[in-house]
Amino acid sequence: MKLGKSWLPAHVLVWTYVVLLVVPLYYFLASAFKTNEEIFGSPFAPPSSLDPGNFSTAFQRADLGLAVVNSGLVTACSLILTLALAIPAAFALARSTGRAAAALEKVFSLGFLIPTFAALFPTFLLAAATGLFHTRTFMVLFLPATAMPLSVVILVQFMRTVPAEMEEAARIDGASTFAVLRHIYTPMCLPGIATVLLLNFLTFWNEYLYSLVIIGPDPAQRTVQVALPTLKAITGTDYGVLTAGTILTLVPVWIVYTVLQKRMQRALISGAVKM
Amino acid sequence: MTTLTPTRGGTALPPPVPSPSAARRRREGGTILAVPALVWYLVFMVGPMAAIFVVAALHWPGMLQPVTFAGLGNVRTVLDDPVFWEAVRNTAVQLAVALPVMITCAYMLGYYVAQRPPGHRVVRYLLFVPGLISTPAKAMVFYAALSPDGLANGALKAVGLGSLTDAWLASPSTALGCLIALDLWSGIGFTAVLFAARLSSVPDEVGEAAQLDGAGHWRTMWRIHFPVIRDYVGVVTMLQFLWTLFGSAQHVLLLTQGGPGASSTTLSFLVYQKAFIAADLGYSQTVGVFLFLIGLVGLLLIRRSFRQTH
Repeated sequence: MKLGKSWLPAHVLVWTYVVLLVVPLYYFLASAFKTNEEIFGSPFAPPSSLDPGNFSTAFQRADLGLAVVNSGLVTACSLILTLALAIPAAFALARSTGRAAAALEKVFSLGFLIPTFAALFPTFLLAAATGLFHTRTFMVLFLPATAMPLSVVILVQFMRTVPAEMEEAARIDGASTFAVLRHIYTPMCLPGIATVLLLNFLTFWNEYLYSLVIIGPDPAQRTVQVALPTLKAITGTDYGVLTAGTILTLVPVWIVYTVLQKRMQRALISGAVKM
Repeated sequence: MTTLTPTRGGTALPPPVPSPSAARRRREGGTILAVPALVWYLVFMVGPMAAIFVVAALHWPGMLQPVTFAGLGNVRTVLDDPVFWEAVRNTAVQLAVALPVMITCAYMLGYYVAQRPPGHRVVRYLLFVPGLISTPAKAMVFYAALSPDGLANGALKAVGLGSLTDAWLASPSTALGCLIALDLWSGIGFTAVLFAARLSSVPDEVGEAAQLDGAGHWRTMWRIHFPVIRDYVGVVTMLQFLWTLFGSAQHVLLLTQGGPGASSTTLSFLVYQKAFIAADLGYSQTVGVFLFLIGLVGLLLIRRSFRQTH
């Protein structure tokens, strides 16, 4: 359809919103290279120098280096566990035609409706009861459970597209169930696995409230999302350091987004559509 | 639950009937592989969920304090507490403002992007950005923007409106507004991309036919396209409803701590605050039960109002 003159208000409104999205981000990036006086005096001016001093201050004061390692560790281990649980489950559900499997699939797709936040305190009790309170281990065990509904539902859809004849041919050659999963289903569902990995990478890396309550504020264990808000308290109102620290935590996500932009957009959209 | 089951390929359709031998083959090595995932899910998600209802019936004034059975005593305490009612009011305001504004703006923005106007690629890239940023990072952006020496006040001074400056996050009249602004700022863009993706699957002919009949874009957008993706809008509205209802605890915790007074305490923050700050565990989980029920009723209402009419 043609976009006539009547679209002018629409253009104006949309670009106003875009500016509202960009300005705080620009302000953030610019402030990371400024001192407090410069930030208050001329908030919109570009920085006079690209001095990385704020970054190194943020890095040291909030122990961000260690926090990034912790976040990376928790995210990677949780992703591996998620796949280890979700791939066999999706494989089983996609292949069987029984009533139990259908019911199980329903259970997983209803899981979208359980907001993880609701059970924060009981989960905390569970962590305490298992003796894993204040450990990263509990988060590694817990996060995959929150990811299960989405991961299983996405993978089941991909696995349904694998033709049954391929499995039959492999069976005639004497392949076991495990070999069928490993050599036929997994390679053919790599796009689905990539989608699940991307979506969960984002959620796990960005997870805040559970990490705060369960891993706690110990600098040796805490994740980057828990370390970040402490900058606010530590630095008083040193905005340069605060913004520099925030930017540091965004780098991994931003790299992944830029490299895999198309795939990530598709993944996020499909993730939401499934819900 | 038809609107919630996946739309592409899968569960909504009955599986094709396989030939008898294929059926036997496909069942081999069966459902047992799904058990670990199910166990995990039950232990870490369903179990704690059920425990909310148990703790809500206990009198438990702190982690190391003796626990006694309270029955419905907590419900009475909660209903008599003015802070609870203030939290109910705040949550109601938050939902009543954020949800309709977000969904309406996001739908129009999504329609705009789906028409591929000049620059739509840039717009699309930027709309995604809030979806990538973590909650603490978003809160830090808002903290830096709205603090007394921050971006908002700087901008007001720069255009000569210095008298309008305020300590936005620390003022009882604006704290809740700031939280709603954060919801809208980050929610509209992401939701719009979802709508745009769905709208681009509507055949062009649908819109063109309407144009030939003399309908403008406004009419096409609401009368032609909206009914087509109506149930999808419903699903997204449900999701945003849940995220706003339950997710606000993190924003409140990071930005205002519920204050000043209780002016920005939402129900989900009250659950957090009573559990981890005030150590009144039965109270906290009783509010959790209320939150759960509100979520359930809200979902059913939204589902009903977006039900496909044709």
